[in-house]
Amino acid sequence: MSDTAVTMHDIVKTYRETGRCANDHVDLTVGRGEILCLAGENGAGKTTLMKVLYGMEKPESGTITVMGKRVKIDSPLDANRLGIGMVHQHFMLVDEYTVAQNVILGREPMHNRFTIDADAAKRLVDEVIHAHGFSIDPSARVGSLTVGQKQQVEIVKMLYRDVDILILDEPTAVLTEQETASLFGTLRTLRDTGKSLILITHKLHEIKAISDRVAIMRQGRMVGHYETASVDERELAGLMMGKSFSPAIGKTPYGRKQETVLRFAQVSVVRRNQGRPMLKDVSFVARTGEILGFAGVGGNGLGELESVLAGTLPISGGTITHRGQDISKSDAHRLRERGLAYVPSDRLKVGSALEASVSENLIIAARKRFSRHGMMRGKHIMQHARTLIDTYSVQGTADMPIGTLSGGNIQKVILAREIAQYRDYIVFSEPTWGLDIASSKFVHTQMIALRDAGASVLLLSSNLDEILSLSDRVLIFSRGSIVAELEGERLHTVTKEEMGAYMLGMHVREAAHE
Amino acid sequence: MNALLHSAVAIMTPLLLAAMGGLFTELSGMLNIALEGLMLMGAFSSIVFTYLSGSMIWGVLLGIVATMLLATLLAVVTLNLKSNVFITGLATNLLASGLTIVLSFRLFGNKGVVVFDRIGSLPRWDIPLVSDIPVLGAMISGHSPFVYLSWVLLALSSWVLYKTPFGLRLRAAGLHEKTLVSLGLSPSAYRFIAFLVSAFACAIAGAVLTLNLGAFVPNITSGKGWIALVVIFLGQKKPLGLLGASLVFGFADAFSNYAQGAWNVPADFILAIPYLFTLLAMVIVSIHADWKERIKR
Amino acid sequence: MNDRMDRRWKRFLGVPRSALGSLVILFIALAAVFLLSFLLSKTPARTLRYFFIGPLQNTYYLGNMLNTSIPLIFSALGVSLAMRAGSFNLGGEGQLYGGAFIATVSAVAMAGWGIAGVICAIVLGAVTGGVMAAFSGYLRMKWQTNELITTFLLSNAVSLVVGYLIAGPFMDPATNLIATRKIPESFRFSRILEPSNLSSALVMALVMTVVVHLYLYRTKSGYELRMYGLNPRFARYGGINSGSYLVLPMFLSGALYGLGGAMAIFGTYYACMKDFSVGMGWNALAVALIARFRPVAIIPAALFFAYIESGARNAMLHSDVTFEIASIVQSVVFFLVTSSVLQRIGTKRERG
Repeated sequence: MSDTAVTMHDIVKTYRETGRCANDHVDLTVGRGEILCLAGENGAGKTTLMKVLYGMEKPESGTITVMGKRVKIDSPLDANRLGIGMVHQHFMLVDEYTVAQNVILGREPMHNRFTIDADAAKRLVDEVIHAHGFSIDPSARVGSLTVGQKQQVEIVKMLYRDVDILILDEPTAVLTEQETASLFGTLRTLRDTGKSLILITHKLHEIKAISDRVAIMRQGRMVGHYETASVDERELAGLMMGKSFSPAIGKTPYGRKQETVLRFAQVSVVRRNQGRPMLKDVSFVARTGEILGFAGVGGNGLGELESVLAGTLPISGGTITHRGQDISKSDAHRLRERGLAYVPSDRLKVGSALEASVSENLIIAARKRFSRHGMMRGKHIMQHARTLIDTYSVQGTADMPIGTLSGGNIQKVILAREIAQYRDYIVFSEPTWGLDIASSKFVHTQMIALRDAGASVLLLSSNLDEILSLSDRVLIFSRGSIVAELEGERLHTVTKEEMGAYMLGMHVREAAHE
Repeated sequence: MNALLHSAVAIMTPLLLAAMGGLFTELSGMLNIALEGLMLMGAFSSIVFTYLSGSMIWGVLLGIVATMLLATLLAVVTLNLKSNVFITGLATNLLASGLTIVLSFRLFGNKGVVVFDRIGSLPRWDIPLVSDIPVLGAMISGHSPFVYLSWVLLALSSWVLYKTPFGLRLRAAGLHEKTLVSLGLSPSAYRFIAFLVSAFACAIAGAVLTLNLGAFVPNITSGKGWIALVVIFLGQKKPLGLLGASLVFGFADAFSNYAQGAWNVPADFILAIPYLFTLLAMVIVSIHADWKERIKR
Repeated sequence: MNDRMDRRWKRFLGVPRSALGSLVILFIALAAVFLLSFLLSKTPARTLRYFFIGPLQNTYYLGNMLNTSIPLIFSALGVSLAMRAGSFNLGGEGQLYGGAFIATVSAVAMAGWGIAGVICAIVLGAVTGGVMAAFSGYLRMKWQTNELITTFLLSNAVSLVVGYLIAGPFMDPATNLIATRKIPESFRFSRILEPSNLSSALVMALVMTVVVHLYLYRTKSGYELRMYGLNPRFARYGGINSGSYLVLPMFLSGALYGLGGAMAIFGTYYACMKDFSVGMGWNALAVALIARFRPVAIIPAALFFAYIESGARNAMLHSDVTFEIASIVQSVVFFLVTSSVLQRIGTKRERG
């Protein structure tokens, strides 16, 4: 018996549609009972490599050895049989089914030859849940669960299949600090029972916090395997990006003459037949020359705040004023005419029409400016697109469908459009979600530049690092209300744990003792 | 009134059968507009095979086989050649309509109504005990075996869809197909079977039409496949809902037939009633759904 | 259901086209004609000759073939406009029939109005189709009622009612046909290729194709319509008034159908006959699908469709097969036309 659980050797995988080589002669080893982080920028080939291991992608060449045996993995069924499981970044769950139904799907306990034994299903799933200290109800509908609970269902689904090697694709991308801490606890317990875990991630502090070893990929190649203890975050970043990297963003404190742009006074959003309001008595002002950060856990009002700012969710109480004028009743159309600029959290479903060209995507809010007597001015539109593509160095052309661009480039197009559009305030919601380090840094630099140019920047984000490093002032949301406002010195001394305690509506001191 | 209810049940049967078949494809995530064509194929082939074999049972069984062959073509082109299911469904309808007429011309030298007087009529079954109950007895007793077969099949499909691994996976294919893929199961395989199931049910639905009449009329289905699709949506994609929705439609149809005879209203005018009635039902269902949605908000 | 379909349609619109793939499809369709001729005809050579050469052999057949394509072009433009906005208008047949009926009876009523009467009658026909389709659009805007089904149901109901009106109160007592009275002779479009039925409506069809193309790709409203069709949430995000793009495109779509119906009357039939429109709605849908809802591609697609129909009609007249082989050949084309596997044959890999 060897100490390695998995060895992948000389894996080559090229995507036929794009001709891009995602895995270029890659080697990987995973030890038994260890947590290995597979790290790298977006597009480095991490997910592809793991899909090969899980039987979802077929490599052109290369060998895989599991528990000392050469194996061929043609489908996830093969992978399960060999004790390999995978938790995908986008949950593979049927929202309409119960937890138990989701877990047993594909491996149903039978009552007789034809019928599913529903009781046994519930019992078996409950056993797995209890054995690992999870807190989900097997008969709950998955659609009603929180993101963290859904992830637990995914892990239970794999444990139900008796896996020894568990792959998790960016498991913390959608989790809060607290949920992440609890997930890490679970992962350590699993490791201590002898399971091998592979985490795909690009977050440096997580690699340090959880892994025993780290394997780093860059542009389809394996850079190397390292003992986590032997590398620091700066070195990790350098290995991932292939050049020296400074994580800190140069930022000058704001000091310009400040004018109030946007004012929320006692704004509430209530839905009928629902006891708790989605937003409750939210009051704040946004001023020129500052980045105003909004922090909160999913489901605590940031989503609704985004919709209210975008003009797609009518408010049920309070008033909103823009430069002194009441805009409480304005819809998206009216807000856009007043100069609303807004980078939405859902870039693909809200922020772009994937099948339309880049140039068409660039004029959605400014279409009046590019038409005369109802006719579109084609030359102006193309000129506008080319200028923005150059300025923001977008990898793509004006007439390509925007959906064929990479995630980072799509975000650049959206950013370019909204910055060209802004007059005095601009809303960013989760602007770096899913972006790699280089793209994130680009977005952050743009936000600072906007603020320095006198814009009022509203930043809604669940990423605390982002909030803390960029904001001049932070409002924390919990259960639809603002529970804390941090500014100046207080903002520099606050810890992430304290922030987390605010966001969960706990008292700061209590949280500190936990 | 009793006669009205009785004929409502008779009229609803092909709709119920076709909708039941369509339910499988719908739940597997495919909008199957080929129900019309599959029904037509079933209608034509069942009566022709009954005529050729001299037995209704063989006729229907061979009709099912023929319809399943057509569905196999539809499934292969849609799933294996990755075509748009709406267009291949349209193609199936066109093919069935053309093929039945071409074959009828070739076999019987006739492009119009082909009467098969040799095959006799369908038996009527009286259900003991039930037939004595007032109203209900008259409504559900004394129908052709197909009517009772459709109810057995409805119970069977409900069981398959909700109690078996096959059903669990089939519905998962429609709700979130990537989940199946991630577990190493093929959504296409389940959709393929769903197409065959819908062909099976549509073949019987078609057979009901022609064997009841003892004749084949070109395009005898006249939009019933589409109505079956409406029945699926009106029935909220649930087996019992299908029963209710097809009964409503059957009743509307029976009523307009009755009105035509009783009040001497022009036939075309009367034939429009079921469509308007279904339209109204669609609107009411959507207002209701919209209202529920608003309450949730 | 709409979400799911939208995704499929967008994938369909986005499939790369390749000349080789189209040739393969064309070849299979031709092979089907050969196969059918040999299977069904006792004189296959004669059948094939009339099928392929027949429609082109003289001005009469050529003109009639072109004439067949006119209502197809109008109607296919109608399908495409709705589809580009993400709405499904499946009620074309009723809209065409209803539009043709209203245009006919108003032309008869306005016999003394001269050119104004022609214009009024045609506009009324278009508005009739438009209102029918817009009604379904309104239901969707108001209560998310599935427009695919409501257009279909309403169309069937209206077709039956129109059928009743033609056979009843509006029937022309002077003929044996079940038809309305004929429109005044001064209202009829001129024949442009005697002795065939081809009328100047063809010019209108070509002009309308260009107009729809310009509307979709060169106007602000067309841009908004397309963006709404591709992604309604994106359109709303950009401040596009979303409600109106559920109703307006449906109205325009229905109006084009109604126009197609009116053209058929003013150019070809002169009277609204009972059930003259049967099958036209489906054929138009097919043409629009083959053209992938691109206005300019509708013209060749409609001609191809008309060619197969004329070929089959010729073969029926001069040989021993029935007209319905046309639907079999058309169905073969449909089966294959959206196949992304076939379409990708010979396409170069995008991006190195």
